[in-house]
Amino acid sequence: MIVADLSHQELVRRLAGAGLRLRTGPIVNRIQSRLAKVIHGVALHYAACPIENSEGFADFHVRVAQPRSLRRWLAPQVRFQFDGTGPFLPLPANQAFAMLEWGLNWCVSSHCHQYLIVHAASVERSGCALLLPGDPGSGKSTLCAGLVNRGWRLLSDELTLLDLAAGHVVPLPRPVSLKNASIDAIRRFSPDAVLGPPVHDTVKGSVAHMKAPTDSVRRATEAARPRWIVLPHYESGAAARLAPLSKARAFMHLADHAFNYDVHGRRGFELLGQVITNSDCFEFQYGALEDAIAVFDDAGRRA
Amino acid sequence: MPHDAIVWREWNGEFVVRNECSGSTHLLAPLAGSVLQVLLEADGALIVADIAARLDDPAAAAGPEGYAAIDAVLSEFNRLGLAQPEQQ
Repeated sequence: MIVADLSHQELVRRLAGAGLRLRTGPIVNRIQSRLAKVIHGVALHYAACPIENSEGFADFHVRVAQPRSLRRWLAPQVRFQFDGTGPFLPLPANQAFAMLEWGLNWCVSSHCHQYLIVHAASVERSGCALLLPGDPGSGKSTLCAGLVNRGWRLLSDELTLLDLAAGHVVPLPRPVSLKNASIDAIRRFSPDAVLGPPVHDTVKGSVAHMKAPTDSVRRATEAARPRWIVLPHYESGAAARLAPLSKARAFMHLADHAFNYDVHGRRGFELLGQVITNSDCFEFQYGALEDAIAVFDDAGRRA
Repeated sequence: MPHDAIVWREWNGEFVVRNECSGSTHLLAPLAGSVLQVLLEADGALIVADIAARLDDPAAAAGPEGYAAIDAVLSEFNRLGLAQPEQQ
């Protein structure tokens, strides 16, 4: 059963009651919330995601709710709870769905140490994974959104999970987080993309989430082998340019962008070494999405 | 430094090395990587001239400038905990 199989009433009942056990890739999240923005966000963005038995195991137990205080009426806020604790300060109520997304990212990056987790977008074509590690503002989510709207499969927008044994990328297809100018850039680039309502004045500026393609969600059990490591750098007006990057420098970049590289010690070193050995590594500067996608489509066809 | 406390990978002359004792990973330039390989393969302590002689291209590292470059690498290794001077 998937989320779209539930009536709106049943979705509300589960979220407001014992929780919706939502599977995202290898992870089961038990989500509870009575907030309309969360309910609508889940219904829109997770429609194709499987839901698990209400008695089954869940990796994370999370809730997004309004704190009980006067602010509930004056300037409403929402709080993210994990196992009954509040790891973050509350946010304005209109950021409820974004807070769920950020909270779920935190759950994975802080707890899923059965993987080496890299702060990177990743997409797949013909079984080969393209990893896009980068800092906020590098343009990785924009590039990722552009690629998945042109036939690449979404593996993850934010958290690339590397299997410790095989070194494969384990898909975690969840909404793509678009910020500021990239929201309109994706609307122009792909009018069919499904975007939620933008939320303004967050700590990251304006944020809108793009729904993961249904095919990517359906194929969430199909791992992909890393083939390309590309460090994106968006610069307004720049021509698309792919420049080789030495493997040793790419290794250091991946290690720097891994959430739990230190947790894995020598195994993490060896896994990244294996990933780098099997990948071509580049730096990529771009200023126009259409040009950027053409570069990767060409590489994807030749793989 | 126990040899098994150092793991490294090399691609096209550039090295990354992990120090198991510190948990740190470092990017090494070609000369530093080559010096590290020499130290790991040696049975005991080496002087700079010995290290220079064991490099793949000994001529390039010979002479005062080459020795000074190796000495600088050794000082950096000492700082990073990758190798220590022999105790007198």
